[in-house]
Amino acid sequence: MKSKIKYFTTHPMILILVIILIFFTPLALFSPGENKERGIVIAVGIDKTTEYEVSLLTFIPTANQSYKEQTSLISGKGQSLGEAIYNAQIAMGRRIGLAHAKTTVVSESMLEDDICKSIDYISRIASLPENTVFISTDKSAKELLQANDSLVSKTGLKLEQVINYNAENLYISDTSLEAFYKGYFGRTHSSIIGSLKLKESPSSQGGNSSGESGTQGGGESSSGSSGSGAQASSSGSAKMEIENNGDAILLKNGKMVAKLDVDMLNGMNILNPRSKHQIINIEDIEKDDQLVNMGYRVADKKVIINTKFENGYPLFVAELILSVDLVEIEGVKEGLKVNTEFSNVTNEVATKIEHKVKQQFTKSLNLIRECKADVMGINDTFHRNNRKEYEKYIRDNGGVDEFLNNVIFKLNILVQPD
Amino acid sequence: MKDTISIRQVGVLMILCIFANKILLLPSLMYETSKADSLWIILFLFAIDLLVLTLIFKLKTIYPTTKLYDILQNKIGKVLTKIIYLILLVFFMFKALLVFSVTYVYFKHQIYKQDLIWIALISCLPVINHAVMCGVRGFSRTMELFIGIVLTGFIACLAFSLFTPISMPYFFVNQGKDLLTSCYRHLFSFGDYIFLLLIIDKIEFKRGDFKRIYKYAFSGIILTLLLFFLFYSKYQVTAFMHNNALADLLVFSVEFNAVGRLDIIAMLTILFITLFQLEIFCYGFYESIRGIFPLLKKFYATITFDIIFGLLYYIFIGKFEIMVAFASHYLPILAIVVNYAFPILILIIYLIDMRKVKKNRENVYISQDEISKSNQNTNLSSDESNVALSNQDQASSEHGDKQKENSLSEKASTLNNQSGLKGGEYEIKD
Repeated sequence: MKSKIKYFTTHPMILILVIILIFFTPLALFSPGENKERGIVIAVGIDKTTEYEVSLLTFIPTANQSYKEQTSLISGKGQSLGEAIYNAQIAMGRRIGLAHAKTTVVSESMLEDDICKSIDYISRIASLPENTVFISTDKSAKELLQANDSLVSKTGLKLEQVINYNAENLYISDTSLEAFYKGYFGRTHSSIIGSLKLKESPSSQGGNSSGESGTQGGGESSSGSSGSGAQASSSGSAKMEIENNGDAILLKNGKMVAKLDVDMLNGMNILNPRSKHQIINIEDIEKDDQLVNMGYRVADKKVIINTKFENGYPLFVAELILSVDLVEIEGVKEGLKVNTEFSNVTNEVATKIEHKVKQQFTKSLNLIRECKADVMGINDTFHRNNRKEYEKYIRDNGGVDEFLNNVIFKLNILVQPD
Repeated sequence: MKDTISIRQVGVLMILCIFANKILLLPSLMYETSKADSLWIILFLFAIDLLVLTLIFKLKTIYPTTKLYDILQNKIGKVLTKIIYLILLVFFMFKALLVFSVTYVYFKHQIYKQDLIWIALISCLPVINHAVMCGVRGFSRTMELFIGIVLTGFIACLAFSLFTPISMPYFFVNQGKDLLTSCYRHLFSFGDYIFLLLIIDKIEFKRGDFKRIYKYAFSGIILTLLLFFLFYSKYQVTAFMHNNALADLLVFSVEFNAVGRLDIIAMLTILFITLFQLEIFCYGFYESIRGIFPLLKKFYATITFDIIFGLLYYIFIGKFEIMVAFASHYLPILAIVVNYAFPILILIIYLIDMRKVKKNRENVYISQDEISKSNQNTNLSSDESNVALSNQDQASSEHGDKQKENSLSEKASTLNNQSGLKGGEYEIKD
C-alpha cells in the first residue's frame, strides 16, 4: 500500500488525471444534450416596422424516415435588435446558436436606414457567421422564411442555393455578409446584395389560407411595450411563394439606393471576365430576304483594361473581346433554331451586338454614377494602377464619390464567333 | 537525467515562440493602425528578432555550458542580475496571460458561448505545471512529437484560404507615423527568443548548427508572414473585424457552404500551439524566479506561477479589452526593456568577451612564436613547449568557462604541434 501511495506521489500527473476525470466525467454524463439547450438556427430574418422583429428558422433534430428537415420558425419582437433576439430565445426555450445560420434576410424597410448598424450587432455580438448569405426581400423577412419550406418541398432547393446561383451567374460576386461588409467598409462604401420577391401562391388566393397558425409562446417583452413579445409558428404554414427574378439591391453607406434588374446587373458585369452566358438579343437582322430577331450567348470574354490620366482627366480604356454563339432565330417563318453553319458573325450582327452592349453598359454606368455607388470597382482600378495621380485627383476634385462622374470611358468591343 | 535539448528541439521551441501571440488577434489589431503595411512592420521586427537569435548563439559559442545567471552575475553583479530576472519574470507572466486570454476568448466565442474560465484553467494549468516539472527536455520532446500535427494544421488553414477569392492587399498606404505607432503598440508580441537565453546552458550546440537554427527560424517566420499575407488578401478592408486570423482563414465563402465547418482543424492547431506556448512561458517564469530565489524548489515555483496567474487573470476576467489595451499601451515599455535593452546588454558582454578572446589569441600567437624561437635556441622538448603554451592560455583565459577554454588551448597546441600549423591557425572542436 505504501509503495502504491509513494508511486502516486512521485507521479502526480496520474493523480491529476484522476481528479480531472472525477471532475469532468459526471459533468459530461449528466449534462443534457447540447441540442436540448441550444436551438440551431439555419436562417435569420429581420424586419422593422415600429419595432424590430427577429425570425429564426430553427432546425429541430428529430428521428424520422424521410430526408426532410424538421424546421420551425420562431420570432421575437423588441424595441432593439438585442431585445428581439432575447424574446425569440424565450419563445424557443433554448439559447440560440447562430453559428450554423446560412441565410440572413432583411426586409426592404430595414434598408431605409444604415443596415450595417443593425446587422453588426448580431454579427459581432451574437456570432452570426460572416459567410452567411445576406439577402433582402420586398415583403417581410419572416414571410420569406415561412415560404422557404414550400420552396424546399417544391423544388428541393434551399434559399442559399437559389441565391448562390444568382451570385455565380448574375451578381458575379459573393452575396455573403462578408461581401457586404467589404463593400460597406471599402473605398466607395457601396455593395450589392441579392433580392428575392414574394408573391401569393395560387393555392392560397382562393381563400385556402392555412398560414398564420402561429402559437403564442415565450413571454412578454421585458420592456413591457405593447406588441412586443415572442411568437412561435409552424414552418408548414407558408402561403407565399418565393420569386427569383435575379434582382439585386444597390446599397450606398448601408442604405438602399436602387433596385437592379438582370439587365442592369449584366451591364455592370460587362467588364467582368467571370460574367458569361448572358443572352444578347438583337433585332431586325436581314436573313434570307427577311428581317429576323436573333439571340446570341456570350460564350467567352476577354477584357483588357488600361487606366491613365490624360490632360488631368482620368481615362478608362477597356478592350472587350466577346466570343458569341447563336442560340436563337426568331423570324416570320422560323422558330427556335440553332444553326452552327450560321454562327459566323456578320458585320451587321457585330455592330448590333456592340451597340447593344454599349447601351447596356451606359445605362448601368449612369445609374451607379447617379447613386455614387461604384460597385464596378472603377475607383479601385485607378487606385491600383495610378495611385499618385488618383489620390491627387480625388483630393482636388471632390473626393471618391465624385470621381466616377469625371472618368472618361472608352470601350472597344470586338465580337467574334466562339 | 541529462536536462539538455538538441538543436531540433530548439528549432521546435523557436517555431512555437514565433507563433506566440501572432496567429489570432494580432493581424486584425495591426490592421486597425497600419493596414496591410503591417506586413512590413512584422518583417522588420522579425529581422530584429533574428539578430537577437544570432546574438544568443554567438554568446553560446563563448559560454557553452554557463548559465545566463552566472554570465550576468560575473559581469554586472548580483543585484542587477536579480533585477533583470525580476523583469524577465514579469515579462513571461504577461506573455502567458496574453496567450491564454486571446485563446480563451476564441474558444469562448466558438464553442462555449459563456464564461467557463474554471474549466479552462483546470484543463490547462496542471498540464503546464507537469511540463515544467518534467523540465525543458521533457516538454521539448513532447513538442517535437506534436510539431508535425501542429504544422500540418497550420498549413492546412493557410491552404484552405486559397479556396476563396483573394486579391493583393494595398501596400504603402500609411504614413511613417502610423507605422511607428503600430510597431510600438505590438512590440510585446515579439521578442520571444529571449526564452532561449534562459536555457542557454541546456542547448546542445555545435558550430555547424547555425544553419539549422536559421532553417527553423525562417520556417516559422515564413509561415507567420504567409498567415498575415493571406489574411489581409482574403479579408482586406474587413480584416479589422476578424479577431481570430488562423481560424478565420478557414471560414469558407458561400460557395463552399456545402463542405461544412472545418473549424476543428484550426481549433486543434490553436489548442496545441497555445498549450505549448504556455509551457514555454511558464518555464521562462520558473527559470526567472529561480534566478531571484535560487533555493526555491521547482514545485513551489510552479505553484507560485499558478497563484499569480490565477490572481492576475481574475482581475482581467471578462475584461479582455482591458488586457488587450494594456498589452498595446503599457507592455511595449516592458518589451523595449526585454526585447531590445537586454539584448544590447548581452551584445556588450559578448563584444567585451570577444575582445578578450581575441587578445588571448594574439597572446597565444606571440607566445607560440616565442616558444618556437626558444625551442630552436634552447632545444626545448615539444612536451615542455606544450605545457608552457597551456600555461599561457590558462593565465589569459579569465572569462567565463575557464576549464573549457583551457582544454581548448591544450587541444589547439597539441594540434599545432601535430599538424605544423602556424600560431593561431588552430581549429576548435568540441
